[in-house]
Amino acid sequence: MANAHDTGHQGGHDREGNYGHISVRTYWVVFGALMALMVLTVAAWYTQKHFVHLPEIVAVGIAVSIAIAKTTLIIYFFMHVKVSSKLTQIFAVSAFVWLMILFVIVMGDYMARGWPPAKGPLSQVPVPISAAL
Amino acid sequence: MSTTALINHYATNRATTASAWLKSWLLTVDHKRIAILYLISINVFFLLGGLAASIVRLELVTPQGDLMSADMYNRMFTLHGVIMVFFFLIPGIPSVLGNFLIPLMIGARDLAFPKLNLLSWYLYMGGGLFALCAAVFGGVDTGWTFYTPFSTSYSNSNVVLTIAGAFVMGFSSILTGLNFIITIHKMRAPGLTWFRLPLFIWAHYATSLIQILATPVVAIALLLVLVERVWHIGVFDPAIGGDPVLYQHLFWFYSHPAVYIMILPAMGVISELIATFSRRRIFGYEFVAFSSIAIAILGFLVWGHHMYVSSQSVYSGLVFGFITMLVAIPSAIKVFNWTATLYKGSISYRTPMLYALGFIGLFIIGGLTGIFLSVVAVDIHVTDTYFVVAHFHYVMVGGTMMAYLGGIHYWWPKMTGRMYNEAWGTISALVVFVGFNLTFFPQFIMGYLGMPRRYHVYPQEFQIYHVMSTAGSTILGIGFVIPLVYLLLSLRYGRLAGDDPWDAPGLEWRTSSPPPTFNFETQPIVTEEAYAFQPEAAHL
Repeated sequence: MANAHDTGHQGGHDREGNYGHISVRTYWVVFGALMALMVLTVAAWYTQKHFVHLPEIVAVGIAVSIAIAKTTLIIYFFMHVKVSSKLTQIFAVSAFVWLMILFVIVMGDYMARGWPPAKGPLSQVPVPISAAL
Repeated sequence: MSTTALINHYATNRATTASAWLKSWLLTVDHKRIAILYLISINVFFLLGGLAASIVRLELVTPQGDLMSADMYNRMFTLHGVIMVFFFLIPGIPSVLGNFLIPLMIGARDLAFPKLNLLSWYLYMGGGLFALCAAVFGGVDTGWTFYTPFSTSYSNSNVVLTIAGAFVMGFSSILTGLNFIITIHKMRAPGLTWFRLPLFIWAHYATSLIQILATPVVAIALLLVLVERVWHIGVFDPAIGGDPVLYQHLFWFYSHPAVYIMILPAMGVISELIATFSRRRIFGYEFVAFSSIAIAILGFLVWGHHMYVSSQSVYSGLVFGFITMLVAIPSAIKVFNWTATLYKGSISYRTPMLYALGFIGLFIIGGLTGIFLSVVAVDIHVTDTYFVVAHFHYVMVGGTMMAYLGGIHYWWPKMTGRMYNEAWGTISALVVFVGFNLTFFPQFIMGYLGMPRRYHVYPQEFQIYHVMSTAGSTILGIGFVIPLVYLLLSLRYGRLAGDDPWDAPGLEWRTSSPPPTFNFETQPIVTEEAYAFQPEAAHL
C-alpha cells in the first residue's frame, strides 16, 4: 500500500492557510448589533405584556427569531466562522441542520397528536364506578 | 513545538523511577498510550458491568425474588445498563482501537489534538467516577434511560450523581469525535485519498459525526433532568407543567444514534478482518464506505421507534417505522458485501476471523429482529419484553462485543509486539459464540411469549428459558475470562510478532510492533488502494 520515503514527516500535515482576519471595527459593530437585539428582545416582551396581546405562538416566534439572529452574529463573527475554511463552515451549518431535524420532527409529533380521532371501546370516557352502580 | 523539541520531550519522559513511570503514563499525549489507558479502564468497567449482569441473571434462575429485593434488582440492572452503555459500548472501539489505529492507518504521527485526547480520557474517568460513586452510595433505580417523571420527581436513588457521570462522559465522546474528524481530514499521508482509506477509517469518521452532532442533545436533556429534579422547574413532569414525552424525544434523539456509535466502528473492524483473512479487497468498497455515512444519517431519523407506546402521534410512529426499515438497506449492503468478499477468498480461520464470522451471524439476527420491531403492530406486542432485550443484545453484544474482541486479537501483535496463543484464541471465540447464543436466544422466545423485562419475579412457565439464559451467561463469562488470561500471559510468554504477522497491507503494519513514539521512521507515501493484497503472499 505504501512506499517509505524520507521526507521528514512533512507531508500530509499542512494546514489550510485560508484563515482571514476580522477587524476590531467589525467586532464593535457586531457588539452594537447584539446590544440592539437585546433591547429589541426586552421591548418585544414589554409590548406584548402591556400594549398588544399577541397569540403565544407569534410572541414566541418573535423571541426565537431575535435569538437566532443573535446566535448567527456570534457564530459568524465572534467564533470566526466567517473567515474559516469551507470545511469548518459546513460543519457549523450541519450542526444547525441537525438541530432543525430535531425540532421539525418533534413538532411534527406534537402537531399530529390526536390524528385521527380515536374510535373504539378504549376511546370511550370511562364511567365512574359509583355511576355504574 | 518543533520536531526536535518533541523528541527531547519524549526523551525526558523515559521513566527511571516508579513515580516517573506513572507520570509518563498519566500525562502522556501519545495516542497509543492513551489508547492503552482506555483499554485498561474500559475493560475494568466491562468487568463491573458484567458482574452486575451476572447477579441479575443469578436472581432470575428461580421465579421467586430470593436473592434480592425488587428495589435492589432495579438498581442492579440499572448499574449494568449504565456501565455497559455509557462506559463500555459507546467509548469501547473508538477510544481503544480508534485511538490507537487512526493515526497509524493514515500515516500520521498522532491525532490532531493530542492534549485534547488526554483530556478525553480524564473526562471519561471523571464520568466513570461519578457513576461508581452513585453505585457505592446506593445505586440508581431508573434504568439507564432515566425516564421522566420517575427520575425527576419520584426516584429516591442517586439520579444526580449518575446523570452527572453520563453528562461528563459525553464530553469525552464529543472531544474524541472532534479529534478523529479533524485528524482524518487534515493529517492523511500524501497519496492517501478518501477512496484509499481503510474502511475502518470511514466507519470511525461516520461515528465521529454522530458523536459531535448527537451527544450535545443528550447532554442538554440530562441537564434538564437535573434542573427539574433539583430545582423543581417543570420541564418533563406533567405535575409541574412539563411533558415526559419531550424527554423521550430528546433522549432518543441521541440514544438511538448512540447504537450506531457502538456498531459502526464495529463494522469498520469487521471490514478489516474480513479483508485480511480472506485476502481480498472488500467487495464494493465504495458502497461499504458510503453505507457507513448512510447509516449515520438515517440513524438520526428513526428515534421515535423507541416511543411507539409513549402517546406519540400515530402518524409519527408510521413515519419512524418506515425510515427504520430503510436503515436495513445500508446495513444489508455491508453484510452482503462482506459475504461477497469471502466468496473465492483465501480464507483462514484465525481467531480474529472467527470473531468476525460470529459477528456477521449474530448481527444478522439482531438486525432482522430490528426490522420486526420497526413495525408498529409487532413492536407494541413485544414492547418491554425480553424480545427487545434479546434484539439489542444481539446487536450490541453480538455485534460490538464480537468486533471489539476480534479487533483486539487482530491488532494485539501491533499493540504489544507479542502473539497470543492461537489455540486458546480459537477456543475462546467458540465459547463466546456458544455462550452468547445460549444466553440470548431463549430470551427471544420468552419475550414473544410475554415475559416482561425488568421484573425479578415471574411466572413459573418462563423458568426454563431463564435457566438456559443464566447457564449461557456463565459460559459467556468464561469466554470473556479466557482471552483476558492468555492475552495477559502473552505479554510475557508470547512469541515476538514482528511488524506484520498477518501479511496485511495496511499502513499500520508498515511500522514496528509496537510502533515508535512518532509511529513511522519516515513519512509513508501511499501509492495503492486499500486492501491491495499480493497473491503470492497468500500463505497464511
